[in-house]
Amino acid sequence: MKKEAKIKVEGLKKVFEGENKVTALEDVNMEIYGNEFAVILGPSGCGKSTLLYLMAGFEKPTKGNMYLDGKKIKKPGPDRGFVFQDFALYPWRTVLKNVTFPLELKGLPKVEAQKMANKYIKMVGLDGFENAFPHTLSGGMKQRVGIARALVYEPEVLLMDEPFGSLDAQTRKQMQIELEKIWEKNKKTVVFVTHSVIEAVYLADRVFVMTARPGKIKDIVKVNLIRPRDYTDENFLKVREKVLEILESEVEKSMHQKQEIEKT
Amino acid sequence: MKMNKELIKNKLLALIQFLIPIIVVIVLWEIIVYFELIIQLPAPSAIYNKFVYLMFEKKILTNHIYGSFYRLILGYILAIILGIFVGSIISLKKIISDMLTPMLSLLIAIPTIAWVPVLLITLGLGDKTVIAAVFLGGFFAITYSTMHGIRMVDKNLINAAKISGAKKTSMFISIFLPGSLVSLIPGLRLAIGYSWRALVGAEMLAAMVKWGVGKMIYTSRFWNDIEAMFLGLVIIGIGGLLLDQLLMRYIERVTVERWGMISEG
Repeated sequence: MKKEAKIKVEGLKKVFEGENKVTALEDVNMEIYGNEFAVILGPSGCGKSTLLYLMAGFEKPTKGNMYLDGKKIKKPGPDRGFVFQDFALYPWRTVLKNVTFPLELKGLPKVEAQKMANKYIKMVGLDGFENAFPHTLSGGMKQRVGIARALVYEPEVLLMDEPFGSLDAQTRKQMQIELEKIWEKNKKTVVFVTHSVIEAVYLADRVFVMTARPGKIKDIVKVNLIRPRDYTDENFLKVREKVLEILESEVEKSMHQKQEIEKT
Repeated sequence: MKMNKELIKNKLLALIQFLIPIIVVIVLWEIIVYFELIIQLPAPSAIYNKFVYLMFEKKILTNHIYGSFYRLILGYILAIILGIFVGSIISLKKIISDMLTPMLSLLIAIPTIAWVPVLLITLGLGDKTVIAAVFLGGFFAITYSTMHGIRMVDKNLINAAKISGAKKTSMFISIFLPGSLVSLIPGLRLAIGYSWRALVGAEMLAAMVKWGVGKMIYTSRFWNDIEAMFLGLVIIGIGGLLLDQLLMRYIERVTVERWGMISEG
């Protein structure tokens, strides 16, 4: 039985016009299944975040199409949730109000919206901080709000753009473990962008490894390890090794690209 | 409890720091006048006596202050409404931006007071002209700070709202408006200063205006009443200070400062 694709990407190309024309993505094709945890992994500057921004509808593709449940993706909408690397919390809203905002937009009554929001705030472990303003929170706590805000309206898919990229190593690990747990409970389709191999192998059902710019899908690695995974487990390290090998040559290429840019 | 004591102590210290230079100036001033180092300068005590006389004996000072205050509020509110409106549509609609931005740069170069003779003819010699001058004084600063504020709103905040399903109206009210306050509030502060200055100038030139602090200064010229002139200057200064420190600072404290968008001042 062939699995139905939740998200389908076909011949996607993105060129950024401007003084220096940059081809960020070139002919990207991928299928992400329902309830799957898909991780897009690639060297920095390979266009993996661009790919996610295209799926979200924040940017328009130069060529190609994307489909969510068979429907063409044209613009941003609440069938998708997005978690930003820089959190993007509304500074003028408290934690609770940040999380209720998408529900307010839906026209949900206030009491119901707060009930829903509280459920998700609790899920990410932020109960007690409902009335705090974002600037008083640590990076890890901010991203918990970001996750609650993206989950609260129960979107079809959750798009995460290096969500733990700006956190310290300790917090990062903690967040990976908790995200894993949340995902096990919700079983949402997740598309998660990162440049950390360990993070990818810890979280992913499948890892999509991208090439250096212009970004393409180079290889797909299936991670068949029992969850929750152990960073030190022998099999975990084997998969990590495999992914690293695929990635390594691309990282080198991307380094050369950077040097070229520096030279010019 | 201990925190409270600390707070009161700090407030008191700030007040003393504020008052000392003023007291020094007043004392020096009084001495200069006493020894007649500058002639034709009224002593602070004489200005104070004038204040008591106009306030409590002739009872006309409140009329002057009220007259100015209500023109200021009317013109300023008008400037806020239209300034935010125009600034917003310019920032959010590219075609309007292309059409209006050059004209705005041209208009902003004209000093408000230069409009007054024109206004005197088109709007008459009374209140309307003064209110229009107050409006013009504040309008451009508010328009520009709105434009700047909206442009400064973080792209990802807009993206976050879009993907949560925000449409145009909620986008404006919930994202662009609060997001632009960092720039809009300093704009409002500047604007109330400009409006206040335009008010005083226009009052002097508008012949049919009877009451107003600017008017008081101007008419005092006829009686050579230099104490009343100085009293007018002092009232203008204190009025501006109160508007800025009480009203504007308050708005700033409960919004952008509380939200951590600017550091506490």
